[in-house]
Amino acid sequence: MRRITVGGAVLRGAVSTALTISLMSGSALAAPPVDLSKWSPEYVRSIAGTQDFDTAGDCAKVTPLDYKGRLTFWYQGVFEGDPDLLRQYYKDFFATFRKTYPNIQLEEQALTYNDLLDKFRTALLGNAAPMAVRLQILGGTEFASKGYLQPLKPEDVGYSTEDFWPGAMKAVTWDGVTYGIPTNNETMAFIWNADIFKRAGLDPNKPPATWDDVVKYSKQIHDKLGIAGYGLVARKNAGNTPYRFMPQLWAYGGGVFDEAKANPTYKEIELNSPQSKAALQASYDMYVRDKSVPVSALTNQQADNQPLFLAGQLGMMISHPSDYNVMLDLQKKATGADKDKAQTVIDNMRYGLIPTGPDGKRAVVFGGSNIHILKPEYVEGGKVDEPAAKAIICMWTSPEWSLKMAYAGSNPGNLNGFKTKWMKERLDSIKFLDVTTSMLPYGIPFPALPQSPEIMNIIIPDMLQNALTGAMSVDQAADDAAKKVKDLMGGGL
Amino acid sequence: MTIVSGKVEARRTLQSARSDVLRKMWEHRADYAYVLPAIAVMLIVIAYPIYYTIELSFFNTPPGLQLRDKIFVGFNNYTAILTSGVFWQVTFNTLIWTVASTFFSFVLGFAAALALHRDFIGRGVLRAILIIPWVISAVAASYIWKWIYHSDFGIIGAVLVELGWASRPPNFIDSVSTVLPSLIVVNIWREFPFAMIMMTAGLQTVPEQLLRAAKVDGANAWQRFWHVTFPHLRNVSTVTILLLAVANFNSFIIPWIMTGGGPSNASHIWITHIYELAFGRQRWGVASAYSVLLFIILMTLGYFYVRALSGNERKDGSA
Repeated sequence: MRRITVGGAVLRGAVSTALTISLMSGSALAAPPVDLSKWSPEYVRSIAGTQDFDTAGDCAKVTPLDYKGRLTFWYQGVFEGDPDLLRQYYKDFFATFRKTYPNIQLEEQALTYNDLLDKFRTALLGNAAPMAVRLQILGGTEFASKGYLQPLKPEDVGYSTEDFWPGAMKAVTWDGVTYGIPTNNETMAFIWNADIFKRAGLDPNKPPATWDDVVKYSKQIHDKLGIAGYGLVARKNAGNTPYRFMPQLWAYGGGVFDEAKANPTYKEIELNSPQSKAALQASYDMYVRDKSVPVSALTNQQADNQPLFLAGQLGMMISHPSDYNVMLDLQKKATGADKDKAQTVIDNMRYGLIPTGPDGKRAVVFGGSNIHILKPEYVEGGKVDEPAAKAIICMWTSPEWSLKMAYAGSNPGNLNGFKTKWMKERLDSIKFLDVTTSMLPYGIPFPALPQSPEIMNIIIPDMLQNALTGAMSVDQAADDAAKKVKDLMGGGL
Repeated sequence: MTIVSGKVEARRTLQSARSDVLRKMWEHRADYAYVLPAIAVMLIVIAYPIYYTIELSFFNTPPGLQLRDKIFVGFNNYTAILTSGVFWQVTFNTLIWTVASTFFSFVLGFAAALALHRDFIGRGVLRAILIIPWVISAVAASYIWKWIYHSDFGIIGAVLVELGWASRPPNFIDSVSTVLPSLIVVNIWREFPFAMIMMTAGLQTVPEQLLRAAKVDGANAWQRFWHVTFPHLRNVSTVTILLLAVANFNSFIIPWIMTGGGPSNASHIWITHIYELAFGRQRWGVASAYSVLLFIILMTLGYFYVRALSGNERKDGSA
């Protein structure tokens, strides 16, 4: 099912190796449990199911299983765009935790990606935060830099720093101190509908190689079939937008700063560079010039693209491997002719690597989540039950649960998760997982700065909206965004 | 001598008045005790937040610092707001939103109240149906309308395309020129039942004998409405309009859920902008300054509301 040629594989391997090494830079090069330099779909398959882990036994060394305590815990949970399979794993995790630690009174609260940061920030202002929190990767440095979080490294819960992706560890490090542990990490892939490609006169087995091709293919699909070509997303305050635009921005050689480089300094603002403007121009061409993407892109998020894709009204999009399961879930809920139509789309669903920029640069957001412990003074009641917090963190970041909790949409934060039997089962049951996993070495973390959430969730979508609505020209929108970033970094009002 | 005795007299009068007030307060000590808990709660949940918001409006709160490390900047937040282009855009949006929503909600509600004032079969059912938009959750209504308006697969667009009246679905909420009017329509749809209820209540206070007398005197329907009904509804109309205006100034749910203030700030009104500044961008200082300005505007509206209510009471002879 994968569309990878030998030449492409060699090239990808070389680039993967280079980028993997770059991702590893900046951290102690102790031996990780897997060989990141060999990272490929074949390697991932070869290590899956090769090791067993005793989660309860490992966590008992951190917090005794008969420990009596109380824990308040907030986490970014499943939402409407997630498959049912993942919902079940979340239920299983909390049931297992209660069974493993029957004397810990756990008060957990699930929040959606878009709500968590706002609610957590508000709670912190009132010293009413939970004892432990699982945040999106973007949030770690913001709260660490403000002094809300306790230092916490993998060694504190029985693992080693090398058990986690170096890029993910960067996102939990502020001023040289580690403040959290990655729970899961993922990179997305490019998804297309082979049937739509065929009907539009495109090669159904060949995804667009470059972003310029995406623009061309999107127009061709729209002109020939009258449907949307590419699933552009430009909603403000929605994580989906930077996850889909930043790969495009980086591929063209642009960036907010120099975050795409191996050792970023975040000193120079590059949002208004010619490369960044070229990336924005590509979005403008699709939305304004060619009208080949959904008009609703400005108010949509990825969850809105899923039904469009399933209805055969969208040719291409960027998303997780879990979208395949989401399509299966949605198809089950369809009735009559819609059910058959949806099945045709699922049969024609293809995954490939995210396109490159004009210079062959391929990039994707290195996403995921981290888990943290709060300082007592910001917690309701002024106390943190550290052993209880470490117990849940040990369990969630274990090879077993870091994999299960990322089963359909992500990858285990703990690299040992790739060796478990569940990874093997996952590779067999989740179509296209190997493709998205093979995007990991191309992953670029968001700038590890406290200002990142505002840049990614507000300034970048604002820039897109200003250009796509015609409120500003592409140049003006990019310049305006660069100025906003400059003001923000300068501590402006 | 006269001056001295006058001063003494004035002091005595003052002392007597003070002791009179204190005596009266003492006599009503139980009444004060009953309202004390309510006053204490109001001080905690209203007075303190107002004080803190005003204080915070004089500080800069960069995203890399905790709130307790805020930096005093005097009136900088206010000058930054007043010199920012976004402020004027958001203020313009807020005015359009408030005036249009209030005016059309009132007119539609009044028209519905008049239509339903006459007795006819099914009046009760119609009244109940018309109240539905007001009683259903604003969040649910916003999501429903978002799908009705959807720029690719909205119901309105689908019908128009199906009937051949449009080649592609109209762009309601993804265009800077149409988004605000589209949201105002949703707001009017949700609010007009409130005006209808208020005006229905007002209509029931119009003396029947006056209307009959006017009819006997030869007044036509319009003259009866204009010279008898309408003057009786002046106060309830004022109160309804003020309540709608205050509610619309404070609107949040519909624009936030349907568009998040976008695209390109075209549907940002004050409250959504303040929310984004505070919770999305953590500019607590600037958001507080915005809130203080909004507070002043709302207090002014509140003053007129209280005056309108007092006017009602004086006319009724109850105060």
